[in-house]
Amino acid sequence: MAEPLIRMENIRKSYGRVQALVDANFHVNEREIVGLLGDNGAGKSTLIKVLSGAVPLTSGDIFIRGKKVTLRSTSDAIAHGIETIYQDSALVTQLSIARNLFLGREPIKPPRFLNRMDQEAMNSVARDLLRQVGITKNIPPTTPIGSLSGGERQAVAIARAMHFDSDLIILDEPTNNLGVAETQGVLSFVRSARDSGHSCIFIAHNIHHVFQVVDRIVVMRRGKVVADDIDPKKTTVAEVERVITGMSDKEIRDAIADGPQQHG
Amino acid sequence: MENRSFIQRLIGRSEFGPLVLLVIELVVFWGINPDFLSAQNISNILAFTVELGLIALAMTLLMTSGEFDLSVGSLFGFSPVLMWTLYNSGVTSLEVGLLIALVVAAVIGLVNGWFVTQLKIPSFLVTLGMLLVVRGTALFVTDGFPQRTWSAEGSWLANILVGDFYVGPFRIYASLFWFIGAAIVLGYVLTQSRTGNWIQAAGGNPLAARARGVNVNRVKVGLFILSAVMASLAGVISSLRTSAANPNSGTGYELEVIAMVVIGGTALTGGRGTIIGTVLGILILRVMRNGIVLIGVPGLAYNIFIGAIILGMMALHSWLERRHQAGT
Repeated sequence: MAEPLIRMENIRKSYGRVQALVDANFHVNEREIVGLLGDNGAGKSTLIKVLSGAVPLTSGDIFIRGKKVTLRSTSDAIAHGIETIYQDSALVTQLSIARNLFLGREPIKPPRFLNRMDQEAMNSVARDLLRQVGITKNIPPTTPIGSLSGGERQAVAIARAMHFDSDLIILDEPTNNLGVAETQGVLSFVRSARDSGHSCIFIAHNIHHVFQVVDRIVVMRRGKVVADDIDPKKTTVAEVERVITGMSDKEIRDAIADGPQQHG
Repeated sequence: MENRSFIQRLIGRSEFGPLVLLVIELVVFWGINPDFLSAQNISNILAFTVELGLIALAMTLLMTSGEFDLSVGSLFGFSPVLMWTLYNSGVTSLEVGLLIALVVAAVIGLVNGWFVTQLKIPSFLVTLGMLLVVRGTALFVTDGFPQRTWSAEGSWLANILVGDFYVGPFRIYASLFWFIGAAIVLGYVLTQSRTGNWIQAAGGNPLAARARGVNVNRVKVGLFILSAVMASLAGVISSLRTSAANPNSGTGYELEVIAMVVIGGTALTGGRGTIIGTVLGILILRVMRNGIVLIGVPGLAYNIFIGAIILGMMALHSWLERRHQAGT
């Protein structure tokens, strides 16, 4: 079998005495959208933070196309082709779409010592990218991010990851607080990213959104990966919910009948 | 969105409010006292305006990056004291004294930046502490007395920095060209250069900027150094022009400069800055200071007007911002 794009082996992460990840094993194949599911505190966010270089792992190994790597920072992860898109923190709202797309890698017009950004080139690439991710509305690339909707912001972040050839795009709750139409837009951006050769990890509380777009579902519980090969076409939402909670149908029904309970 | 008319785009710009306010000020003061627009008065306004203006230009970039510097007023007083002390005691020539004063200012800026970026202490506290250290040093080394100043007339340094000449009835100081040059260069840096994009990103969303590989700390330290050097240069220019080096000069300038910058439309919280707006903000405050005296309002009432302008402009900027966010 071909070497996966990303392979994480026996990942442990402790915060003092708390074990956030316990020997977690996880992989993403080339051109694959993986849905990462789990209850609050299951370890999804920690796993993603480790993979995006935001927090160091306690022990374990990460391989990219079979080659062992060390991810010390988010820029380290970006340099290795791993881009993480958080709903609000990925973009600078005061800057335009084009300036956000090229932030940190702005093209320079000759002569170089003037350090002048090639704004025409940036705008023209931005226009093409917005079309590529499926934004059909006529939004000028000079529009500040602050005037865009949540879905459009996600599209810009995805477009940026696509343009700079990120192999893996991690989307953390990309459909949170979005309306129905906007959610569908984001899901189609994710599909276009896969179709153009990128892999994605899709994290969302709304399982229905995950079902619509992913190729494979991975479920985490208490810091471990408890299922990593669920095919969304061959299962049901209820089935996946059972895996997430670790409860039987009857236990879930009883829990609902008893009303909300305090969990530690 | 692309079809907005020229007028709509003009009104939507953050510099529009300050521009209108400046025009109103000019018309009102001129209407009450026509001498307001006399050649002599305009020359007077411009002479001092550019000295505070140099500090405000650098502060615009620093504030866009999300920080500010309260130590600029104390450097404005300290640098000429240092330069003249070195010169009067025969240690260095005036030119080398200036160079040393600028290098010391750069080091002070570097220390400010290091405390803010490495020790994560808010710039308000760091630069407040530095204000006291620098002002205290200036007072200590001079025993609180103004330094003896040599008439700088004839020195090439004085000619380059504050030499004056007449254009018709207007008396123009060389410092005006330094100010115009600094405004053009810093305006270019902020809007056209890659560094400008990093400055805005550092103030708007430092986490996102860092994630894209922007060295936010280096950007901020560089701007603290720029702010300190410009304050030092402004102090020296003022000292050469007035032939005075008082360790107390520049007291309170830090707040006046910050007021000029925010009135011009730069966000106090960072992420958005405008050099054109700052130039308008500088003119608004200097014209106000000059105009109210000229029309007979007691000079002590100046702060009432400045406070009212700041509150009014903040309300206007906040309204424009909300309107902009709502996409109307």
